[in-house]
This record gives sequence, structure tokens and C-alpha cells, in this order.
Amino acid sequence: MHEFSLAQGLFTQLFRLAEQHRAEKIIIVRVEIGQFAGIVIDSFSFAFEILARERKLTREAVLEITEIKPLCGCLDCGHTVPADDSVPAVCAQCGSSRLTLSAADDLILTQVEME
Amino acid sequence: MCESCGCGIDHERQTTRTIDVYESLLAANTKQAGENRRSFETLGAVAVNMISGPGAGKTTLLEHTIEHLGNELRLGVIEGDIETERDAARIRKKGAPVVQITTGGACHLDARLVHKGLHRLRHESGMDRFDLIFIENVGNLVCPATFDLGEHQRVVLVSVPEGSDKPAKYPKAFLSSQRFLITKTDLLPHFDFSIDEARREALKLNPAIRITELSATAGGQGFEDWLLYLRQLLRTAAAA
Ligand SMILES: Nc1nc2c(ncn2[C@@H]2O[C@H](COP(=O)(O)OP(=O)(O)OP(=O)(O)O)[C@@H](O)[C@H]2O)c(=O)[nH]1
Ligand SMILES: [Mg+2]
Ligand SMILES: [Zn+2]
Ligand SMILES: [Zn+2]
Ligand SMILES: [Zn+2]
Repeated sequence: MHEFSLAQGLFTQLFRLAEQHRAEKIIIVRVEIGQFAGIVIDSFSFAFEILARERKLTREAVLEITEIKPLCGCLDCGHTVPADDSVPAVCAQCGSSRLTLSAADDLILTQVEME
Repeated sequence: MCESCGCGIDHERQTTRTIDVYESLLAANTKQAGENRRSFETLGAVAVNMISGPGAGKTTLLEHTIEHLGNELRLGVIEGDIETERDAARIRKKGAPVVQITTGGACHLDARLVHKGLHRLRHESGMDRFDLIFIENVGNLVCPATFDLGEHQRVVLVSVPEGSDKPAKYPKAFLSSQRFLITKTDLLPHFDFSIDEARREALKLNPAIRITELSATAGGQGFEDWLLYLRQLLRTAAAA
């Protein structure tokens, strides 16, 4: 459900960018979706397809999604590991327990190809 | 018009350009959430966002909380639901100022809806000071976790009948909350809920999360711990 409203926000952005760059056609839209952003990728893509059809500007636009995984980083030695299902208690490289988790909880419009 | 080939396309304008953007699409909500946080603070309030699947006992817990703290603290409630005013009516009966926000189909509250709700809460109650404002989110363990409402504390509830696998299955809610309430513990004898599994999985995701087991209807130590936690929130906020 909220994938649809987030996709609407994306199109508002796209219209603004197209106007600013005097583009007539948007070709590729690249976004990053964090694994913990709470966004269902299939629903988001589906909403994108529906909304893209509504305007000539975006009718042929292709959505490219990169899924971002959270990373667990060591504050002492900088070693990072993917943290998909669990966070390790100590760093595998130096044994430190001072670890931080990058959230991977955002939805980011990274790049737009237009002409 | 293209002069060299006569194709009718203005090649000058039609060249493909790649624009680097790197802007968060959740940023509009995050910005509004920041403004909400300041509004809550201007009112003197600590805001608590309550998240759970449908029926985990959010409204019941708020009803009992109002019974116990209503005389001592200035409470307010913002109720989020897809439809109906039922939960707000239940809270109103307990004597606390409450507004109902209906999302009209959306599965979560967002910061803009809460901003409007807060305006209404102030107008309708005529109060300009609050100690604690509860936001009861739409019953849904998935979507509400994505939207910062400007709360100071996020509390996630799982009730005993729902099962102890919920933290593992809905990680975002547990990653983003400060408090995890295992509710309806009076029903433990009738379900195969494993307190140990629920605690273990939640702590694996979020080592800093604090966990309380309670029954809103039966009362007891867990419920007292919840009240203590709320009082401590106010003390921490007052000291800050
Ligand atoms: N046994 C028992 N039942 C409870 C407890 N707390 C709530 N319930 C019951 O659980 C049902 C749902 O409770 P609500 O408080 O309406 O749950 P909710 O989370 O507000 O529900 P939604 O707003 O619809 O998501 C009601 O029938 C409550 O009486 C409890 O501590 N013990
Ligand atoms: Mg309720
Ligand atoms: Zn949703
Ligand atoms: Zn290390
Ligand atoms: Zn306002």
C-alpha cells in the first residue's frame, strides 16, 4: 500500500527533474532500496509501472533497483561484514565488540537518464 | 529540426543525459517528523509511537495506562486507524484527550498525518501542555516501521497468541524500536509462545532493545514496569 504513495513521491521528483533539465523523455530511473526500508520491491515496481503509463514523459521509463544490505562495521579495525539476518557479537578480524550497524533503511533516487 | 539528416528530431536537445540525484524519497517524511518532534517538545511532551500487528493490545494497554496515570500526568492520545473512530471512543471513555486519524486505506501513519492530528489534539482539548502523548499506529507490524512520526520512543508489541517468531519475521519493527512489550502474558498457559525465543530474536536484531512482559488486563509486575518506564521517560526528558 505505501509502496504506491512512495512511488507517487518518486514521480513528483521525476517531473521536477525533467522540467529543470528540459527533458522530454525519461529513460532510466535508478533507485537504491535498503533491505530494512520496509519496502516490498515487487509492489514498488508494480506501482512504478502503473504510474509511468500515465504520462508521455515516463511512458518508456525503466526502473532499475539496487537492493542495499546492511553492513556491520568494526569501530576498531574497520572490518565490515554483511549483516542480513544477524549481527555478530564480536569482530571476526580483531575480536572487538565495538560494532556499528549501517541501517539500510532508506529509499534513495540515485540517478536518472533522460533525453 | 536536424539539418544533416532531416529526421525531424532536434539532436541537440535529445541527447541522453545522466543526472546524479542521490535524494532520499523518505526525506519529506523525515523532515516533517523533525518538525513534529519540536512541536511535541514545545508542548513539554514525550511522544511514544506504539506499533504492533492488529489486535496485539495497544488500545487496551493505553486504557489501563490512562486509568493508572491519568490523575498524575497530562496525557494525550493520537489514534491511527484505517477506518472508524472506535479506538478513540474507547480512550475518550477513560477521560484522556484523544483524536482519531483515519488513514483512508493507508496501512501506516506518516509524519504529515500526525502533524495534523497534533493540531487537532491541541484545539479540541484546549491544552497547551502535555507530559506524554501516545500515538497508536495502524495495526500492522510492517509498514509503520518505515515512517518516523517524530516520536521520542518507539514501542513494539507482540501478543502471546501471535507467536514468538514475530521478531525474526518482522525485523524492521524491532530494529527501530527502543522497547519491546510481550503482551497478554496471562494467556501464556494456553499458547506455545516461547518468551525465550522472542527475547533472543529481538536482542539478536537490536541488542539495545529493552523487553517487558506484561498483561494489561491482569496487571502485575510487568504492567508496573511499563508504568515505571513511562515515568522514567519523563524524568529523562525533564533532565535534558
Ligand atoms: N487476555 C488478554 N487479552 C487482552 C489483553 N490486552 C488486550 N486483550 C484483548 O485483545 C483484543 C484486542 O485488543 P486491542 O487493545 O483492541 O488491540 P489493538 O492492538 O489496539 O488492536 P488494533 O487497534 O485493531 O490493531 C481485545 O479483545 C482485548 O480485550 C491482555 O493483556 N490479556
Ligand atoms: Mg487499537
Ligand atoms: Zn504497507
Ligand atoms: Zn575489528
Ligand atoms: Zn502545523
